[in-house]
Order: sequence, then structure tokens, then C-alpha cells
Amino acid sequence: MEIGPIVRALLRNKLGAVLIAAQIAFTMTVIINAVFIINERSRLMARPSGLDEANIFHVVNIGYGENYREDIVIEDDLAMLRQMPGVRSASSINAIPVSGGGSSTGIRATDDPDTASTPTAIYRADEQIFETLGLNLIAGEYFRAADMRIRSEPGETLADKAVVSAALAEELFPDLSVNEVVGRTAWLPGVVPIQIVGVVERLQAAWPNASFVENSIVVPELYIDTFTRYIVRAEPGRRDSLMAEVEEMLASRPVDRVIRDMESLEQTRESSYRIDSAMSTILSIVIVTLIFINSMGIVGLAVFSINRRRKQIGTRRALGATRPAILRYFMLENFFITSIGVVIGAVLTIALSIVLTTNFNMPTMAWYYTPIGAVLLVLIGQLAALGPSTRAAAIEPAIATRSV
Amino acid sequence: MLKMTNISKVFRTELVETHALSDFTLNVEEGEFVTITGPSGCGKTTFLNIAGLLETYTSGSYLLDNVDVTELGDFQRARLRNEKIGFIFQSFNLMPDLNLFDNVDVPLRYRGMKASERRPRVEKALESVGLLGRKKHLPAQLSGGQQQRVAIARALVGEPRFLLADEPTGNLDSNTAQGVMELLNEINAQGTTIIMVTHDQELAQQSPRNIHILDGRIAQESGKRTPVTPAETAAAVA
Amino acid sequence: MFFYYVRLAALSYKRNPILSTLMVLAVAIGIGAYMVVFTLNYTMGGDPIPHKSAQLFHVQLDNGDPDRENDPPDQLTYIDAMALQEAGRAFRQTASSKLSVIVEPTNPEIRPFSVIGRGAFADFFPMFDVPFLYGQGWNAEADENIEQVVVLSRETNERLFGGANSVGETVVLAGMNFQVTGVLDYWDPVPKFYDVNNGPFDSGEALYIPWHHTVQSDLPRTGNTNCWKPLEGTGQEAFLNSECVWIQYWVELRSRAEEEDYLSFLNAYTNEQRNLGRFQREQNNKLFDVQERMIEQEVLPDETRILSVLAAMLLAVCLLNTIGLLLAKFLGKSAEIGARQALGAHKGSLFVQHVIEAGFIGLLGGLIGLVLAYFGLEGIKILIGDQITVSDWVHLDVPVVLVTITLAIGCTIVAGLYPIWRACNINPAIHLKTQ
Repeated sequence: MEIGPIVRALLRNKLGAVLIAAQIAFTMTVIINAVFIINERSRLMARPSGLDEANIFHVVNIGYGENYREDIVIEDDLAMLRQMPGVRSASSINAIPVSGGGSSTGIRATDDPDTASTPTAIYRADEQIFETLGLNLIAGEYFRAADMRIRSEPGETLADKAVVSAALAEELFPDLSVNEVVGRTAWLPGVVPIQIVGVVERLQAAWPNASFVENSIVVPELYIDTFTRYIVRAEPGRRDSLMAEVEEMLASRPVDRVIRDMESLEQTRESSYRIDSAMSTILSIVIVTLIFINSMGIVGLAVFSINRRRKQIGTRRALGATRPAILRYFMLENFFITSIGVVIGAVLTIALSIVLTTNFNMPTMAWYYTPIGAVLLVLIGQLAALGPSTRAAAIEPAIATRSV
Repeated sequence: MLKMTNISKVFRTELVETHALSDFTLNVEEGEFVTITGPSGCGKTTFLNIAGLLETYTSGSYLLDNVDVTELGDFQRARLRNEKIGFIFQSFNLMPDLNLFDNVDVPLRYRGMKASERRPRVEKALESVGLLGRKKHLPAQLSGGQQQRVAIARALVGEPRFLLADEPTGNLDSNTAQGVMELLNEINAQGTTIIMVTHDQELAQQSPRNIHILDGRIAQESGKRTPVTPAETAAAVA
Repeated sequence: MFFYYVRLAALSYKRNPILSTLMVLAVAIGIGAYMVVFTLNYTMGGDPIPHKSAQLFHVQLDNGDPDRENDPPDQLTYIDAMALQEAGRAFRQTASSKLSVIVEPTNPEIRPFSVIGRGAFADFFPMFDVPFLYGQGWNAEADENIEQVVVLSRETNERLFGGANSVGETVVLAGMNFQVTGVLDYWDPVPKFYDVNNGPFDSGEALYIPWHHTVQSDLPRTGNTNCWKPLEGTGQEAFLNSECVWIQYWVELRSRAEEEDYLSFLNAYTNEQRNLGRFQREQNNKLFDVQERMIEQEVLPDETRILSVLAAMLLAVCLLNTIGLLLAKFLGKSAEIGARQALGAHKGSLFVQHVIEAGFIGLLGGLIGLVLAYFGLEGIKILIGDQITVSDWVHLDVPVVLVTITLAIGCTIVAGLYPIWRACNINPAIHLKTQ
């Protein structure tokens, strides 16, 4: 209704408007990109590992001295672990999924070593590992105890059977269904053939940030190098008490070894994604702070500009403006300023997003972030302006006849 | 036109009670030109604010154009101000950020008029004060007298039934003031009722009817003239 | 006059407490957030060994897969590291690598425990200016004879000997007796430049032993091992002769000439190896000094770099806010300024008065900003926890505090320039008349 005069008046008083608009533009740029980063990190954190994470814990066993016979110790330890009440299943494994440390290798669907290989995590474990991790078999079968091999020197695996994750099966044999993959042979470095006997729905690699995080292969092998991990799946609700009992049991056995790093898989996940969740928390604080500063800025400048225009407001009231008309005037004024801010902000947001995508390993921001952010910022601006505008509307018309 | 009966206005603070107006009774007929004088703090401004519906009163009754305004809400009061009253202020009260056209346009916008209706009216009002040629100028680019003419154009643009002028010449030198007074007399001659508060004894004596206020009451009234008949008003407007 | 203006600034604050507090808060938040990120970058991206960083060089030999086009490996193979070590062509040089060691304390009260150690050559300690609390490192003979000597970190010495001078004492490592030759003082270079690809913000090793033990006793390696080519055969022998890289190699070169000489030595070496069938890629050996290496490895995490951009924008928002509020405040004082001008203040003195007023706000903002930065950093320590050993080295030191206060005052004054200019150019006549 009075758009023309509001805009013309604003143009005569550019600086205040420009300051607010610039603040909003920068705020929008930071907030939208921060929200995008937070969402991106939560998406990463929300990816399932394929494991029954709530009930699993693991511990490191390092043997030493002349008398340490690793294969026997492991066999005995596992037998005792499996007998403990509350233990659903226990295995030895070389690395823990999602933990950040493990082994990787390259695998091929052909025996030609000159073709490109597919990177994958490789887990060496016993035949009970599937029950222990709680994996979901979607084709074929698991390997058996008879398939287990024991290796005591560096080199390629001695195993000849393997279970792979569906993602790895898909990448190795893009034209075959998971059922057709079962029975196929794949080759590890050094042209070592290995037969795929089963496919699990999902098993993540040890490195959450790896490009091949969904590619995993499990081989039936025990590598004797003094270092192994026990991984235990407890009956629901028994995990925490078992962790203490297991540590005590292992420590009490007369074996020259060190037991360390007892951890639940939930703790492991928490620490693997610690930086991501820290980043999300920091960015959330940044967002709240920015909204606060911005609102304070809008309120501060609005109160000032209204105080300066008290007489003008009174005069408008005298000339017939109703209270809602005054309220509308200041809300509209704020709307124009924030609109300019969000238009500039949209450009900056996209620019920063491009900078972040090109310089850091981040996907492109979805198109809807910018418009949604723009609308929200305009709303925040209107909310911030509501208080001062209401005060402006309450100014008495009689002020028009006062001399100061 | 304006009929105030036993109007009182009391300002209360915790310590004092000030009677700005007490038992104030005044009747102004259509077409009159009334000046109000009195020393500072006598209640002139309070009278003006009440007459212009800028302030409410403590007791009494006030009929504006036969409408009792005592019980009216903010919305109706704003509308009456907009349609029936034109204001002229001592310090002009123009919007510094708006050009002359937009300044004069303000009351019409509050009336909710369409742009096509407003434009000719605003231009006519500016022309009547001789400033149409400068409609794109800002108030600060004009002299005091010119600013007050713009304010008069703004007061007239809504074709109000009466004008309330608060020391309209108070910030002007005597030559300019004379020009403004001539303009007001002309407007009055065309039938618009004018009530003007002034310090200037000379102006007061020239006026057909002068009311002197002291301590919130009418102390002296002079030169009450016979009101113009409605027929005469109609002739003057035509 | 200065103190008069400071008093005026304080009075002005009191007269307009809400507006002034908003400004102080805006400055404090902007500066506080910026300083948190600045401190992170300043420590994580700083020069870990400033007086020597240009003389220490990380060696990379390009023995990579000829079928792929990737950067030269970050580490060396056993063959190459030993060849360089034997040639001894640099002023100082050391191969080193991480290993896992079981420590069996002589005190039966303490259970055996496992620690991360490092195998290194004698030059390691003087090269990296490693500080000793007791004793010293071993000498070159000890390397050659694979003597059973050990240097303990301060923490390990606390754990084993309660912090006493343990030089000459015996420690059982991996079932063998090692004699302590020295105990380090606190030493935690950030970033851990001598081994960034095993975690640039990991803490230092618990003990150091002559490197040859790693192979002789086949101690478990714990660092990154990368093999592009399968082993030929099995066993330790096959591993040592493989193209697997797992050893960090550093040299100390004292001049540009030494640097050039050493690079041509490396190139000559790889050419010779090329003739033997290795190094089938184009010559691409690298000799980076400490700073070049940190940059090449992008040691600074993405997170802190993203946060730097965001913090700078946050500071910009806060300063824009301050400009607006200062403008509001100074223009709101038009009458006072008019009166001062009428009483004989000239523009220069009004300028000084308002610069001091802005600086006063900046100082308060900076002080509160410091408190915010302190809590911000403590918060980050809690958030990150033991993920990287941030707690040991992220703190506000004197230079950071000085930078914070200066930045706060400076920014506020710069933000205030336009409002001050407007305030000084107020026409006194207008504002005196209406009063």
C-alpha cells in the first residue's frame, strides 16, 4: 500500500539499510552453508555399519615372550569367552569396522594383474564372525571352520574362500545379481584366487571417510603376529557388565600378554565420528550466535531509527494513520531491507558453497537450501522487527504538536 | 462544527495532579476563523490536541461535526482525523526523507485511495500553494515559508472540514508569516473552519474571533462574529 | 586530555547502557569466535621447529606403481632407507618408524604394558633438537652394533621410575634388557612434523630404540604400511625386499648447495636402481623442508580451514553490527556534539574523543572476547576429547592475548571511522536551536 514511499525513504537513508542488509547477507551465507555441513555430517554418521552395534564390544590382545603360542591362546580364549553367560558369540578379527584402523587391499574380478583393482577393506576372522557382528546374509552361505587357515608370515592370505559385502559384489561384478556372484572367483594382489561363497547386505570398512567405505571382504584366516582383537556380541542388556567380566577373565589367565583398549562398538563409533559431531556442535553454536547478533542488530538499529522518527510517527498518526498502519510501515521497511540482504546473501551462499565444494571434499549443496534459508531469514528479520515496530505503533499522536 | 462542553483534562503523576483544562466549553460554527492565545502552559496545546483527536480528555463531551467522539476507538479517531481535520504544525513536521509529492500524498494513502485518484489531488494541492513545480524536491531544499506551504497543502489535500493550526507562523519571519496568513485567510474564505493557536497578539487582534486561555479556562473572548450560514458556505466553495 | 576522554567514554557507556552493551557483546562474540579459530590454526598450522625448519628435509623417492599416475609415496622402502643411511651423504640423517613394544617393568607391582615406540638412528635427537631431562641419546656406534639402549619419554620415565633419573637403569622391552641412556623432557611438536602421515596431531612416542632392532627382533610395526606390489614369497625377508613403504626418512642439510647435492645424489641412486629393474617411473624424487612438507601434506584439517572462513564472516557480521550501533549512538549524541562545538571543540578533538570512545568499547569487547575464546577452546577440548591430543597444546598464550586485544580495539575503531566522521560533521546550529 505504501511501498513506493517506503522504498524512496530507504534510498535516502542508505547506510543503515545497507548495514543491516550486509549483515543478513553474511549471516545467510554462513548459516546455510553451516546447516548444509551439519546435515552432510549427520548423513555420514547415520550410515549403518551393518553390525549389531548396541551389543558388541572388543578388546586388543598383545602377546610377548618365548612362551606365547598365539594360535593356542586364541583358541582357548575364544572357547572360554563363548562359555561365559551372556555372551551370544565371540570371534577374533584383525580390525574393527568403523574404528579408523584396519587393512585394505585391491581386488579384481579377473586374473589379469594389469587391470584396475577395486579397493576394499579386508577382514581376517574366524567362521563365527558373522554371528558375532550380526551381519545379514543375502546370498550363498558363510565359510566354515574347516575353511580356516593359519598364517604366520607376511604375505597374501592363505584362505581360498570369502564373504563380501553387497557393495563390493556389485562393484566387482556389475552385471551379475548377488546370487550369481556366489561361487565366482575374485583375485587378490599377487594373483591369489579366492572364491566368493556368500554376500552380506552390508559391512562397512574400518575408515568412515574412505571412498570405498561399503566395500568389505571377510576371509577365514588367523594371522599370527602377536596382535589380535577379540570381538564379542553380548545378549541384549549384558554388554556393560560383560566388558568388565571379560577383561578380568582374560587378565586372570596365566598368559604373557597385554590386554588393552576394551571398548564398546558404540564408544568406537563415537570416537571415530568425534570430529564430525564436534564440527556439528560448533557450527550449531555459530548459527545460534549469528541469529542472536543479527536480531540484536536489527532491534538496536530499529529502536534507534524509530526514536529518531518519533515526531514523524506522531505526525503520521495525526494525519490519520492507525496503529496497524504504523506497525505495517516498519514491518514493510524491515521486509525490504532483509529482502535485499537475502538476495545478496543467496549469491554469496552459492559462491561460498562452490568454494567449499572445490577446496574440500564436500558434495554439492542441494538447490533448495538457499530459498528455504532466505525465507527463514526474512521471517527472523520480521520477528526481530516486531518488538520495535509495536513500540513505534504505540507512539501517541499528540507528540506531533510537541516542540521537541 | 465543534462543540466542547465542560471538557477537563487532568494529568496525574504520583505526586501532583495538574489540571490542563477545566470545564472548558467552546462552540465553533462552520466557517469560523478562531485564534487561541494565552501564555505558555495555559492549556493551549492540550486544547488543540483534544480538538484534533490527538489526545483524550478526562471528562466532558465533545461533538465534532455532530459526532460524539468520547467513546470512539483508536481506529475511528484515526479515520476522523484523516477525513475531517487538517493539521498545520509550528515546525511543519514534514517527512525529511520524502519529496514534496510524497509528503502531501501521506493523508490520502491512509485514506486508502487509488493512485489514479491521489495524483490529481496532490498536484492540485501543491499547485494551490504554488509549489507544484518543485514536487520532486526534498523538504530540506526549501525555505521555512515554502515548507509551511507544503504542510498547508498536505493539510488541505484531504479536503477536511476544518484546519487546526499550531503556531503556523512561529518559526517564520514576519514577511513570510504574512504570506502564510494570507493563504489561511483565503482558505477560510472558501469555507474551511480554522482554529489557530498563536503567540502573536497582532495576529490575534486581526482575527474575527479570539479566545484567550488562562489556567485551562477561557479568560476572555472577543469579536465573536455571526456564523456563516450553510448557504453562504456552499456559495463560497463553489 | 586522554583520561578526560576515557572518562567521557565511560559516561557515554552509562548513558546508553543497552546500546553500548550490545556493541560490546557484538565485538566480544566476533573477536572471541575468531580467536578460537585463530588459535587452532596458529598452533595446528604453526612451524613446529622454527629455528631449523628450513634445514630439515623429508625424503621421498618415487618407487610407485608405473601403471598408475599418483604422487610419489610418502615413505621409503627398507632397501632404500638402508641404502641412504649407509651412504650417509647428508650432514645428519635418520630413518625412523613406529613400533609396538611390550614393556615388562622390573617392579612386579606394575603389570606389563604395551606402548608405541620409535626405532631411529642416533642423528634423530640432535637433528630435531629433542630436549633431554636426563642423559642423552645414543651414538652412531650403538646404531651399528645394535646395542640394547633406550631413550624414554618423560611420561614413560614417570611410569617406570617415578620420574627419577633412570640413566643406566635397565628396562625389559620385548623380552630383552635395554639400558636407559637418556630421558626426554616434554617434547610434543605440533604438528608432529617428523611423522605426519601417521597422524599429524598424535602425541609423541613413549620410547626410542636403535632402528635396527625393528628388523633384527622383528618388532611389530604399527605405522602406515603401503604396498603397491605383492610380496615375492612370504616371510620377513620377502617383506624387507618388497616395494612396501613404511619408513620415514629425514635429512639435515645446512645450505642450498648441500640441498642440491643431496637431491642429485638421490637422483643418481634411483637411476642406478632403475637399471636394476626398480623405479620404473619418471624421475620424481622430492626433498621438502618442514614447512613445504606440512603444506604438501595439508596437515591443517579441513574442519579448521572451513571454520576459519566462517569465523571471518562471523567477525564481519559483528563488525557491521558495531558500525550500525555506533552510528546510532553517535548520531543520538548530536545535541551534545553541537554543544561541545559551540563551546569551542574543533573537529580534531571531537575525532579524538570518539576514537577513544570506540576504542573503549573495543577494549571491553576484547576482554570479554578473551573470556569467550577461553571457554570456546575449553569447549572444543571437551568436544574433541582424546581424538587428537588437542588439550596439551591448545591454549591462549601471551601473543594470542595481545593479538586479541589489539584486534578488538583496532576493528572497533575501524568500524567506528564512518560513524565518527558523521559525528564530527554534525552541524551545531541545527541541534542547538531545537533544544
